[in-house]
Amino acid sequence: MTAFDRRRWVLTASVVVAVIVVAAALIVFAGADPLVGIQGLVEGVSSSPYRIGEVLVGAVPVGIVALTLIPALRAGVFSVGAEGQIVVGAIAATAAVFAVESVTGGAAPGILYWLVGLLAGSAGGGAMALLPAFLAVRWRVNEILSTLLLNYLAAGLLGWTLRTWLASPDETATPQSAKLPEAAALPSLLPGTRAHWGILLVIVIAVAFFLWRRSAASTRLTVFASRPKLALRLGATRSRTIYSTMLVSGVGAGIVGWIQVAGVNERLLNSVTGGVGFSGLAVALLGGLAPIGIVLAALFFSALTAGAVGMQSATGTVPSSIAEVIKGVLLIGVACIAAYQRTAVAALAPAAAPIDAEHDTEPAHEGGRS
Amino acid sequence: MSVELWVAILAGTLALAAPLVFAGIGEGFVERAGRINLGIEGMMIMGAFTGVWAGSLGGPLVGLVAGAGVGLVMAVGMNLVIHRLHANEIVVGLAVTMLGLGLSTYLFQLWIPSGETNVTVQTVPRADLGPLTDIPVIGPVLFGQSPLVYAAAVLLVAAWAVTRFTRFGLAVQAVGSDPDAAALRGVRVQRTGASALLIGGALAGLGGAAITVGTIGSFTPDITAGRGYIVLAVVIMGRSRPVGIALGALLFAFLQSFALLSQSTALTLPSEVYQSAPYLVTLVVLVITSRRQLRRLYRSTTGRAAT
Repeated sequence: MTAFDRRRWVLTASVVVAVIVVAAALIVFAGADPLVGIQGLVEGVSSSPYRIGEVLVGAVPVGIVALTLIPALRAGVFSVGAEGQIVVGAIAATAAVFAVESVTGGAAPGILYWLVGLLAGSAGGGAMALLPAFLAVRWRVNEILSTLLLNYLAAGLLGWTLRTWLASPDETATPQSAKLPEAAALPSLLPGTRAHWGILLVIVIAVAFFLWRRSAASTRLTVFASRPKLALRLGATRSRTIYSTMLVSGVGAGIVGWIQVAGVNERLLNSVTGGVGFSGLAVALLGGLAPIGIVLAALFFSALTAGAVGMQSATGTVPSSIAEVIKGVLLIGVACIAAYQRTAVAALAPAAAPIDAEHDTEPAHEGGRS
Repeated sequence: MSVELWVAILAGTLALAAPLVFAGIGEGFVERAGRINLGIEGMMIMGAFTGVWAGSLGGPLVGLVAGAGVGLVMAVGMNLVIHRLHANEIVVGLAVTMLGLGLSTYLFQLWIPSGETNVTVQTVPRADLGPLTDIPVIGPVLFGQSPLVYAAAVLLVAAWAVTRFTRFGLAVQAVGSDPDAAALRGVRVQRTGASALLIGGALAGLGGAAITVGTIGSFTPDITAGRGYIVLAVVIMGRSRPVGIALGALLFAFLQSFALLSQSTALTLPSEVYQSAPYLVTLVVLVITSRRQLRRLYRSTTGRAAT
């Protein structure tokens, strides 16, 4: 990695400029003053402890999803299934918490609820991730498409769940589950905000991946992405790599499902994922697949979302969906920068997931066309 | 179930399949050229929005052209980023989808601030085929359709002909199966791939516009609801061939049409089952196709090893 590669810096600067120009253009197009917009953005992020707390709360799901995507992306496995895995994790966690409540008669201590919720969420998310992994290993079903399609099935499952077996007994405007028992909620970390203890989990996961980066397993995955046959000699078979990396990302997403239910909403809602599917991937790449970078990128994405709401109320005309546009532009920019970089992200380039079996690079291909 | 209901379902199938066929034919060229356009969902939704917006100004035809234009512009940008700046095709594709979903919502909310009633534009008028429409069952299903359905059928034949008989079609094939060999034979690899992507983008935009201007008449955020991904799956199922793509599109559209009309059926399954069925069946067919392709691959490799 050459830190002072001039071309890379020029490119980075142009991406930043492009993002700012696009943002300003969108604000002007909406008939507002960009300076007022920026002011609203800053206020939306920092004007009160509650708002700072909201940024932290928003960074948790996207941060965990992005962190746990590190192994998969390193290996060139593009899973876009976080959305569906969060949903299944959240359903499993909610059901498990209510099960514990009914078994113990509501007398269970918080720690039991958290443990059960965490495990159930992980199991649900992990199971949801193993399905596309199995399809990819066994029949070479493109994992991008299978995870995208499974997200819609998970959404259907959630809709049905909230209408039937986990539906709130009360009449509610939107479909939702009953409120979780008081003890099951994650305690608040900062008084007066929605910031909860789940934030500490992000730090734990980030540290774990920071240490993992230097391990042999991490290197094997990087090798797998560019030289599958060499990776095979290091013990990274195709099936082991796909199963393990997708399981890690699925468990991460499942934990997010539990955190969103127990820490933020205190009940299962239709909006439990909050559109983390693509954002998680974007944050992982924006953070250069490095834990610290990802945590910063997650905070940035969350601040952008929160700030856009502030911008909407400050200007009165700029819709808060401006945040999504900026994220998209940013991700394109990051992809351009990554193309120049000789870091882990650049290793993705040759690993473009095979869309049909014929373009694969497995040993079976040996006698193929040549 | 009554005959009338089946007629309605089948007629709906053709109408719902048209946008998928447009986008699928385009993506077929892209994938036959050895590329993939994961931005297709973003291009479709931008086409859907632009179609309604332009349609409100100049009528349905203008809306369709504008939708295709937006898809084309997005594909030009995507080609630039991927092939001039060498950015990862998958990441850029997903980013384009993210951008399209965000931008269409942004522009829509600017156009129609929340609280105001949504604009409904005139849809493409139905073709009047006179006495043909009066034939029982077949009439309303085949001849009472929007012109877009017939346009999709014409495009299908055209795409088949282009693939089989034109220099461009063969060049796309050559580039997709072996870029190096194609280059040696004088095929311009970059340019052929770019052309395929531009066709794919324009048809994705047109497909998006066909959803709104063709049948619904108005736009709402996320109106495409993953049709772009369905198209990608359909193209893989159809092995990038026009006829296969059309069959895949019809299958998905049939299930969707069935879901829309499921309320009036005697079957009492949860509504989510109907809504999820198109995605589930797409996944299942995708698995079957992948499995068959894998087998074919093994057979061809072991066969060659033996000789």
